[in-house]
Amino acid sequence: MKLLLSLALLPWLLLPTSGLAAGPRSGWEKSVVRIEVSHNVYDYYQPWNRRSETVSKTGVVVGKTQILTTAENLSDRTLIRVQAGGRGAWANATVVWVDYYANLAVLTTPAPDFWSGLKPVTIPAKPSFKKDGLQILRWREGKLESRQAEFSQFAVRKGRLSDINQVFLEASSEIQAAGDSEPVVSGSQLVGLVIEQSGRNCKILPGAFLHMILSAHARAHAQAPRLGYFHFYWQPAENTDSLAYLGLPGKPRGVLVIEVSPRLDGQPNVLQPQDIILQIDNFDIDMQGDYADPDYGLLMLENLATRNRWAGDAVHMKIWRTGQVHDVIYRLPQYDFTNSLVPAGVFDQPADYLIVGGLVFQPLTVPYLQRWGGDRGRNALFRLNYYREDEATKARPSLVILSQVLPDRFNIGYQEYRGLVVEKINGQTVHHLSQIQAALEKPTGPFHVIDFVPNETVQRVVIAAGEREQTATARVLENFGISAAAQITPQPATAN
Amino acid sequence: MVAALLVGMAQGFAIAPERSVVQIYIFMQKPDWTAPWRYDPVQSASGSGFVIKGKRIMTNAHVVSWSRQIIVRKYQDPKPYLARVEFIGHDCDLAVLKVEDESFFADVPALDFGALPQVRSTVVTYGYPAGGREISYTRGVVSRIEMNTYSHIGNRRLLSVQTDAAINPGNSGGPVVQDERVVGVAFQGIQGLENTGFFIPPPIVERFLKDIADGQYDSVPLAGINLVALQNPDYRAKLQLPDNNSGARVDLIRPQSPASAVLQFDDVILRAGPYPVANDGTILYEGNRVSSAVAFQLHQSGDTLPVEIWRDGAAQTVTLQVAAPKDDQAQGNQFDVRPRYYIFGGLVFTPLTLDYLRDADRSGTRGGLADLNYELFYHAREDPETAPKEPVVLSNILNAPVNATFLVREATLVTRINGVVIERLTDVVRAFESSTQTYDVIGLGKHGTFETLNHAEAVRANAQILKTYGVPQDRNL
Repeated sequence: MKLLLSLALLPWLLLPTSGLAAGPRSGWEKSVVRIEVSHNVYDYYQPWNRRSETVSKTGVVVGKTQILTTAENLSDRTLIRVQAGGRGAWANATVVWVDYYANLAVLTTPAPDFWSGLKPVTIPAKPSFKKDGLQILRWREGKLESRQAEFSQFAVRKGRLSDINQVFLEASSEIQAAGDSEPVVSGSQLVGLVIEQSGRNCKILPGAFLHMILSAHARAHAQAPRLGYFHFYWQPAENTDSLAYLGLPGKPRGVLVIEVSPRLDGQPNVLQPQDIILQIDNFDIDMQGDYADPDYGLLMLENLATRNRWAGDAVHMKIWRTGQVHDVIYRLPQYDFTNSLVPAGVFDQPADYLIVGGLVFQPLTVPYLQRWGGDRGRNALFRLNYYREDEATKARPSLVILSQVLPDRFNIGYQEYRGLVVEKINGQTVHHLSQIQAALEKPTGPFHVIDFVPNETVQRVVIAAGEREQTATARVLENFGISAAAQITPQPATAN
Repeated sequence: MVAALLVGMAQGFAIAPERSVVQIYIFMQKPDWTAPWRYDPVQSASGSGFVIKGKRIMTNAHVVSWSRQIIVRKYQDPKPYLARVEFIGHDCDLAVLKVEDESFFADVPALDFGALPQVRSTVVTYGYPAGGREISYTRGVVSRIEMNTYSHIGNRRLLSVQTDAAINPGNSGGPVVQDERVVGVAFQGIQGLENTGFFIPPPIVERFLKDIADGQYDSVPLAGINLVALQNPDYRAKLQLPDNNSGARVDLIRPQSPASAVLQFDDVILRAGPYPVANDGTILYEGNRVSSAVAFQLHQSGDTLPVEIWRDGAAQTVTLQVAAPKDDQAQGNQFDVRPRYYIFGGLVFTPLTLDYLRDADRSGTRGGLADLNYELFYHAREDPETAPKEPVVLSNILNAPVNATFLVREATLVTRINGVVIERLTDVVRAFESSTQTYDVIGLGKHGTFETLNHAEAVRANAQILKTYGVPQDRNL
């Protein structure tokens, strides 16, 4: 009995030690705040279902009444609360702005008591911290946990919420389950915010990037600029025969442009396949595709699309084409989730769907594919996943799938159809749920004819149009406890 | 009483079947599809077989595939006899062997075939499971009769019989007997399912034997169409078809098949040969409701049969020729063929096949396989005009100074060489051998990647590269 009691006590005895602050008060207690976000989470397998989830994260006071945090989990928020000092009263907060592309947001609270005693931090525009003194901070059990982190490198990686390539700081730490916007500090300086942890490796949005986004929003308020990206494909020029084939004299350098998609914003393409990019904004590009960044050292050229640059900005490039050096101005296209045929992110909107006689149509999105989970999803839905490789085009801006069929006498024979990409309805090409609605307004006689992209299951289904369809839809909604036949977010007026 | 009956039953099977059942030992060697001139180490395996008329042994194709040597042993006879494959049907997983020493058959009676067994009737399997030297018998009932994927080739579904008689590795090729007649050839099980084995039924076996009667095996023919159920009353109404249990819809027609000249999308098949087709796409075959594909696949390639269809609101009868498809070998497992390849400047090119994908995946090839998977299984169906006839991959690179700076090293689709679209392996050969350029430019993958090779240096280096890596020839086309 005594032994059992001892064992039962052991975790309780150990826990506080593992979460306690590592040292005496550092001053960061006045700048780091706890954030609690309640938000809707949508079940993309049954898109009419939602549940509420509450998550904790961390923020940093960056202005008189402003808290900086990451944008993750702020989508479709229902309640945000903030707490100063790691304990005591919570104050309701609101979002001043959120930028899902940059994965940053600023919160505030009207509660006057909240701000008393808090101290905003300043974020330098350039990295100038001591690499051997990094600490990761967060509130745990009323105390500020401080964990040492060891600098690894600056590297260009895709973002957590978007596919934008940008510079990240990578550091190794023993901290557990970080990635919820924990500040990384060096002495009195904010170095960055942790957005992800894999093993010991922490991926950190660097301070200079935070500074850039904060400054832009401070200047522009609601019309803050958006991030841009390089929309062309390139490859390193390590194959020196390729450089010789293209006639580039001198030492091997530059990268090879290999594919340039038509731009969705209507801007002309200034690059073409087999161009060699030699310089971007006066930075020499080496044959691996890196440039020497004055702040970060060697970085992949993709970072030059976000290094003090915004969508629409002119990027100066020096290229080699048909035996000559040319100077071209590349206008950065705006990054948008809908630039991909399968959008990587869906934010601040419910999961879209349309139910017609039990046939459930949904946009093909990454959140839908993620609902299937891991390897099982990848195997079962290989073809749908493979669409993620494709960019949106004007001819094919997005995809709609018949995701499932809710069984009803109306749709008998179709109950097992799922995951089929819709090509046409009643002869009209459809890419969006609103186009399905429009196509259903013009039935093929007394029927709706639904054609799918060629697949191994079925190429076409036919259902009745008109009253029987409407009756069946109403019956399905009632039988399955679904409150509405459709949730359709309007399309943007113009494509980016 | 029960015990006596059991003994009686055992005696009732007499000795004959087991005397005709043989154990087959093979020594086989499979190629490495990612290094297509190379073979894996020799492996041994064993299976079962049985003597049939014509001094032949019947077994499964998968028992004797890739064989370097086949040895057969008779019941309780230690003497090994050398055998060879006379005919092999990989799609139906059947083979017949000849034994070099015909005295082998002197005291071995040939087994006769019976009819398709009834569901719930009792069958006994004979064979040498798990490599044991003594024959093994297992008794079970016929659980069901339906179409199943024949896993040996992987991309064919044919009639098969499920039984709860234990069918284990080594049983393959052995006879399944009922009333002293062979009613099936044991061939596969399903991992994770207990008491579930499958055997190849007499109609498939008889079709195979008839197929080879002219001295060559032509393969199981298909109708060249995908039939889907037509049970939705509104779809039936659109086709002006009575709302009854008859007729399945033509949903897809293989472009190269004879059916493409006769049938149309949305035709409804009402009758296939003598069999009425139900609205779920099945027929009633020997008392079993099975896929209507059975009505086509029991014919010989080139046969014709009357097919009653519903088109434009009326019934009519057309004559449909069935044919063994020749354009989908790459999507199934291939056997007993040397992989094709071509090597230039250390770059190894080979056609994209399921076997290649499997070996590349097994060898830990990084990336690129999703692109190849799409190319092999989806591209031609979705966009036949842009899909190559025989996709070619840069399988791997035999490292040499001439190709040392290549970034793409393996498992990537070849799209163009010197501007010419690559439709098949011979295009690769032609592109390099007819090149007059200083640099050969090789287009790869999905996003326009290209690599460049100094042509003259590659030509000069080729022989030495082959020698260095022990490649006997630069090609097998």
